[in-house]
Amino acid sequence: MKNRRIPPGFWFLLPGLLGFLLFYILPFGGSVGYSVMSQPVNGKFVGVQNYLSLLASPAYLRGLWNTVKFMGVSVPLNMALSLGVALLIRKKRHRELFTLIFLIPLVLPSGSMAFFWRVVFSYNGALNGALQGLGIGKVNWLDSALALPVMVLIFIWKNMGYNMVLFLSGLHSIPMEYYEAAWVDGASPRQALWSITLPNLAATSVLVCIMSVVNSFKVFREIYLLTGNYPHQSIYTLQHFMNNMFASLNYPKLTTATTILVCIIAVLTQGLLWLERRTSS
Amino acid sequence: MNTTAFGNRKNLVSTVLLVCLGLLFLLPLAVTLSGSFMSEGEITLNYTTSLSAFDKLDGLTERFAGLRLIPSPVTLKQYATVLINQPAFLLLMFNSIKIALPVTLGSLIISMATAYGFTIWNWRYKEALFIVYIVVMLMPLQAVLVPNYIIADALGIQESYLAIILPGIFSPFGVFLMRQSMKALPTAYFEAARIDGAGPMRIFFSLVIPQMKSAIAALCMLQFIEYWNLVEQAVIFIKDYTKEPLSVYLSRIAEGRVGLIFAASCVFLFLPFWFLLLGQKDLEKGIELSGVK
Repeated sequence: MKNRRIPPGFWFLLPGLLGFLLFYILPFGGSVGYSVMSQPVNGKFVGVQNYLSLLASPAYLRGLWNTVKFMGVSVPLNMALSLGVALLIRKKRHRELFTLIFLIPLVLPSGSMAFFWRVVFSYNGALNGALQGLGIGKVNWLDSALALPVMVLIFIWKNMGYNMVLFLSGLHSIPMEYYEAAWVDGASPRQALWSITLPNLAATSVLVCIMSVVNSFKVFREIYLLTGNYPHQSIYTLQHFMNNMFASLNYPKLTTATTILVCIIAVLTQGLLWLERRTSS
Repeated sequence: MNTTAFGNRKNLVSTVLLVCLGLLFLLPLAVTLSGSFMSEGEITLNYTTSLSAFDKLDGLTERFAGLRLIPSPVTLKQYATVLINQPAFLLLMFNSIKIALPVTLGSLIISMATAYGFTIWNWRYKEALFIVYIVVMLMPLQAVLVPNYIIADALGIQESYLAIILPGIFSPFGVFLMRQSMKALPTAYFEAARIDGAGPMRIFFSLVIPQMKSAIAALCMLQFIEYWNLVEQAVIFIKDYTKEPLSVYLSRIAEGRVGLIFAASCVFLFLPFWFLLLGQKDLEKGIELSGVK
C-alpha cells in the first residue's frame, strides 16, 4: 500500500507559505486583475488597453529606461569595486576595522544622509565651493545629466560594504590547497587570481548580483529625499513613476506597471539562475 | 630581498588607498556626529547659502555650504533636547522598536521553518516555488506597497502597525537567506541522526539551529536595520503623528532644526550600530556560498 502520510517538511513550510500567499501572491494576482480593468472599483474589462496606454506614456518609458540604465551601470560597478576592496583587505591586519567602516553606511538614517548629500552636491554646496576655490567653477550636480553618476555614487557608498562582506566570505571558502598547488607549479599571483580566485567566486558573484539588484531599488529612498517627486529627467526612475501614480491614485497605470515589472524580473531571475547553473557545473 | 621590499611597498600603497577610501566612507557619519555637538547657530552659519548683510559688506557675491568637522564651542544642548526636554523623540523611537522588533523575531521564526521545509521536503514544484520567492524578493518596495495596501485594506488593518509588521514577517528575503545557509549544512550528519531515530523536529532544534547561529545573527541584524530605517511603508500606513517611527521624523529634516535632527540621528543609529559591532563576524559567516540553486 502506498504511504499517504503527509511529509513533515510540509508542516514546516505551511505557515510561511500561507503568509506569503496571503500578503504577496494573492494581492499581486489582484493587481494583475486590476491591470485589465478600467478602474479598481466598478471598472469594466478593457483587455490590454491599459498596457497600450502605459507603453505610450513617455514618463513610464523614461522611468523604465533610466532604471535599466542605472542598474546596468551601478550593479557591475559596485560588484567590481567591492571585489577589489575585498581582495585588498583580506590579508590586512586591521581587516575587521575596515569591514566595519565600510558597513557603517548601512545603519545611517536616510533622512540625515539626504541632508548630507544635499550639502555636498547642491549648487552652492561644499563640493562646488571647493571647485570654485580651485578655479574650476560651479557644476550643476543634481539638475543635469550628472545626477545619474551622483546617484550611482550614493548607491555604491551605501552598499559596497555588504557586497564586500559577501565576497570576503566567498574568498574565505576557497581551499588554501588550491593556492599552494599553484604556488608549487610556479604560478604568479596574477595567474592565481585569474585561474583560481575568480572562477571559484562565480557562485558568490551571482548571489552578490541578486543582492545588488535588490539594493539598487532601495537607493530610491535617498534620491527621493534628496530631489523629490520630479527630479532631473536623467534620474526619474520607475519608482518615481510608481510613487507618483500611487500618490495620484492612478491604479490602472500603477498595477499595469507592476505586472510588467513582475514579468521583467521573472526573466531576469531565470537568467541569473541559468548563469548560476552554468558556472557551478 | 628585492621582492619583499617590493611587496612591502605594494602593501603600503594598498593600505594608504584603503585608509583614504575608509575616510571618505566615514565622512557622512563624521559630519552627523560633529553636527550633533554644534549649536543651531553654528550649523546655520556652516550650511546656509544665503548671503547675510555682513557678507555683502565684505563684498561676497556668493556663499557655499561648508563641511566643518570640529564644533566650536562643543555643546550638548541638542542631546539635552532630544533625550530630556522633548520626550516625543523617545516616544517615536519606542514606535520604531515596536515595528522593528516584531518583524525581526517573526521573520526569523517563519524563515527558519520555511527554509527547513524547503530543505527536507522534496516535491515536484519546490524549485518553481522558490523562484517565485526570489522574484518577489527582487521587486522594488514601490511595487510591493500596492499589494500590501490592498491586503491591509481587505483585512481592516490599515493605520495599524500590523499592516507593516505582517508583510515584513512573511517577506521572502529571510527565507532566501536561511535556505542558502541550510544548503551548506553537512547532510551526512543529518542522515546519521535520522538513522539513529531522530525525527525532523528533533533534528531541527538540536542539529540545524545550533549550526546556524551565524546565519540567524545575520538575518536578525539585516532585518532589524531594514525595518529600523523604514520610511515609505510608515508614510503610507501611519497617519497619526504620535505613532510614526523615528526614521520618518528624521526624513523631514528642515532648516532651523538641523542640529536637533543630527543629535536625534546619533541616538537613533546607536542601536543598529551596536548590533553591527556585535554581529559583524556573523554577517560574513552567515551567508552561504554553495550557490543559489
